[in-house]
Amino acid sequence: MSFLNPIFLLGLPLILLPVIIHLTNRRHHHSVPWAATMFLIEATRQAKGLAHLRQLLILILRICAIAALLLAAARPLASGWIGLAGRQAETVILLLDRSASMEQFDPQTGESERSTALSRLSGMIAATGRRSEVVLIDSATLTPTLLPTGLELNDLPETAPTATDADIPALLRAAVDYVDTHGTGRTDVWLASDLQEGDWKPDSGEWMALRTAFSERPLLRLFLLAFADPPQDNAAISLGTVRRVRSKEGPNLAVDLRIRRFGAKASSLESRESAQGTKLPIEISINGTRTVETLSVVGDELTLLGHPIPLSQGTERGWGRIDLPADENPADNTVFFVFDDPALRKTVFVGDDAETASAIRTVASVANEPEVRYQVVTFNAGETALIPWREAALIFWQAPLPESDSPDGQLLRQYVASGRSLVFLPPLGDGGAEWMGLKWGDWTGGEDPRSVEWWRTESGLLAQTRSGAPLPVGDLRVFRMRDFETPGMPLLKVAPNHVLIAQGIADVAQQDETHEDSDHQVGTASGLITIWGTLPRHDDSNLASEGIVFFAMTHRALEEGVAAVAPARMMEASRATASELIGAKPLHAPESSDSSAIAGLSMAGLSAGAWEHGSEKDGLQRIAVNRPASEDDSRILSDEKLTSLMAGMQFRRIDDSVGRDRSLSSEIWRAFLVVMALALAVEAVLSLPPAPKKDARNARESRLNPVSSGT
Amino acid sequence: MSEKVSHSFLDPSVLGKLLSLELKARRPMLGSVAGRHRSPIRGSALEFAEYRKYVPGDDVRRLDWRTWGRTDRHYVKESEADTNLRLCFLLDTSGSMGYGEPGATRLDYARRLIATLAYLAAKQGDATGLYCGPSAVNAETPPRRGARHLGLVMQRLAELEPQGNATIAPAIHELAEKVSPRAMTVVVSDLLEPTEPLREAFQHLHFRKHDVVLFHLIDRREVDFPFDRPTQFIDLEGLPPLFADPSVVGPRYREAVVRHLREITGITSRLAIDYQRVFLDEPYDEALARFLLGRSSKGLPTVR
Repeated sequence: MSFLNPIFLLGLPLILLPVIIHLTNRRHHHSVPWAATMFLIEATRQAKGLAHLRQLLILILRICAIAALLLAAARPLASGWIGLAGRQAETVILLLDRSASMEQFDPQTGESERSTALSRLSGMIAATGRRSEVVLIDSATLTPTLLPTGLELNDLPETAPTATDADIPALLRAAVDYVDTHGTGRTDVWLASDLQEGDWKPDSGEWMALRTAFSERPLLRLFLLAFADPPQDNAAISLGTVRRVRSKEGPNLAVDLRIRRFGAKASSLESRESAQGTKLPIEISINGTRTVETLSVVGDELTLLGHPIPLSQGTERGWGRIDLPADENPADNTVFFVFDDPALRKTVFVGDDAETASAIRTVASVANEPEVRYQVVTFNAGETALIPWREAALIFWQAPLPESDSPDGQLLRQYVASGRSLVFLPPLGDGGAEWMGLKWGDWTGGEDPRSVEWWRTESGLLAQTRSGAPLPVGDLRVFRMRDFETPGMPLLKVAPNHVLIAQGIADVAQQDETHEDSDHQVGTASGLITIWGTLPRHDDSNLASEGIVFFAMTHRALEEGVAAVAPARMMEASRATASELIGAKPLHAPESSDSSAIAGLSMAGLSAGAWEHGSEKDGLQRIAVNRPASEDDSRILSDEKLTSLMAGMQFRRIDDSVGRDRSLSSEIWRAFLVVMALALAVEAVLSLPPAPKKDARNARESRLNPVSSGT
Repeated sequence: MSEKVSHSFLDPSVLGKLLSLELKARRPMLGSVAGRHRSPIRGSALEFAEYRKYVPGDDVRRLDWRTWGRTDRHYVKESEADTNLRLCFLLDTSGSMGYGEPGATRLDYARRLIATLAYLAAKQGDATGLYCGPSAVNAETPPRRGARHLGLVMQRLAELEPQGNATIAPAIHELAEKVSPRAMTVVVSDLLEPTEPLREAFQHLHFRKHDVVLFHLIDRREVDFPFDRPTQFIDLEGLPPLFADPSVVGPRYREAVVRHLREITGITSRLAIDYQRVFLDEPYDEALARFLLGRSSKGLPTVR
């Protein structure tokens, strides 16, 4: 509990006033000579226990009345929620879920879950946290921001809405790290979230570490401000691929579109059984020109693959957006897209083996899609300075491995970090140094071919096709292979249990800072790294002769890397995107200062929109940023799961909802006045002399007159 | 009353008003000389009482010859004897009798009451005596007639001081034993003591065929308990001071007083004691007039 006028608390010793008065009265009492002491002794004996209790009660009530008056004058601030916080914390860490799903709002008040949470937290800080250090960590940037006093949380760029998803375990980890780094004392962590299961990642291994971290820090308490109300009527639109195609009718866009409806209305029987479905007008804008199209949503989902959107004649490139009618969550009503000429699929081979280079040239230059240009350039191992890093979408690196810190090693890291694909092939001779944990071993094998023992079919270069058919990987035969060391994820193994192809899984950008740690893995979150243990040479394997697998792997790697070089890119709003889009110009009419930057990140990458990045000289790139697909997963974390996730932590859940008129703190001086009035009323009742009994009344009447009797 | 008796206890105006009233005994008294009161002894006085059959041993001189002549039977004519009464005062002199303002204490009131009554009795030829309880033995003045003796009673009254914490009941017992039966005993007390011993004491007096009069002197404050703030009560009989909150003990105090008064009334009613409850704010002459009028009226006095 805190007070707006704590100076009045200095008067609390006044509560002893009734006791002092009582004792003074006893000392300075009135003395009278008395004859009828026998009645007095009898009356005192009878009233002793009850009288003491009554006097004690009266004293306590008087003390309570004075205390309540003083507390009311001090204007206490409290509520059921604030009461939970108990003693004031030295540091208050606000963890804000800024994911797109937090933009679900109440149509009557216009308040979103995010803004409501901010209002609650602002009120709480204003009321109780004046003497606390307040730190904000938002889910979009995960960067701690020390808040100055008196700042309205809703006005901060760090609390603005985003189209990102949230990583709640990472958010809590950031709070723990802040506590450890700054050595805060008693710390209250307030986490505002909508409990979206995708954001909470209940299967993440981080939770065990978090539970341990919280339980080992007794001064750290977690309060969850939960907005777990599911939407009543909400529709969300998401976009797959957008391709520019030419048909007889003219150019148009083929759009993969999905519209999902959530809430009671969407799942109502009438809606499900309606043959025609619900008519949904969508607004399509291309380069600022708007058209409206009505779609019929049967049930709670509509998926359109290759839905045509006509383009005006001569429109080769541009951007667009598709808007759903306004509903409970505006953040999932809009998707942006960009389109341009297809990117040049440029493959670079670096190595000295001509046969391998020839095989790659043959495979990588075969057109997989019409209107797409393919190009393969080869360089010798000593010509790395000539490599066109910016244009290359895929590099086959058969040269000896460079040192991680060497110029070539750093260029390779930057190349992968920019989202492009890199395939390491085993050099015929010297394997070179160690690069980011990857190191070539010796060549093995002989005349007997090795067959494939296992390969990963669910993801990676050898995954099954869209139709579900597997690649003919089993037909591969390996005569010679080179061992390699990498902690990456195996994609293919040959007998006996030798990893032939592996994929990196770690973040190269992260390793840029900590690559000295030998435990770190090779890989990237943005670009694709694969390591092949054999070559498409006729004496090494039948990759080239049984070309399907080789072709598929090459073109899949190429398609992974081409997104980074394409003039039109679709990206998910995230911290990584934000770091990439610094300085980007908005193509759409921004609703907020999209060009502003917070914590070194661009709002362009955090919120949905269409941006133009780069320069005319280096090539302009149009980028459409949309919310991650995980934000459309409306599942709410169940109470059981939440309880198990928080087991052992000092945790308290506070359920709130948008539009409810309540706050984390409120003035409660009226309650104290009521307490004071009640105390005085009871004290008055206790102080009243008891009503005379019937006998006593009769006696009073009779004693008014002298009595004489006798017989 | 040839000698002049004067004392500050006696107010001539009060005496003038009360002299016309006669102090009568309600039962036959045994006196030493002839007087105004009935005697239990049948004699040859003027006032006829009854005829009784002659039994051997009777004085033949008391035979009623006329009746013998008319009826040829032997009857003895008896008449009531008139005698004086012995008026014995028992005054409570315990410490509680000193309650009241100086000069108007309960004991002062009792002095005036006794002095006036003694004077009236002496005036009609009755003997007066004064016993002072609780130490009645040492302060007794046996009943005698005459102005000189009345003066002695007055002097003894003037010398009394309230002291001690003894009760009046033992003194009543002593009085009952010391004084010959059939006397008028007037007990003047505040009766601030347990009622059971009092009942036994008054029963003792009743058994001795005394005509018992009880003047119960009460201060109105002792009944009303008119205090409104915590007060320390200093006992007049030497008990430790008692601190009490009137708002707490007041009701129970009043209940105790009422219960006590009810018990006193019950005792006096059962033992045919002439009970006079007198509040100290009532003029003593009115209390005496009420008492004497009650005595002079015919029939049994009613209890008000």
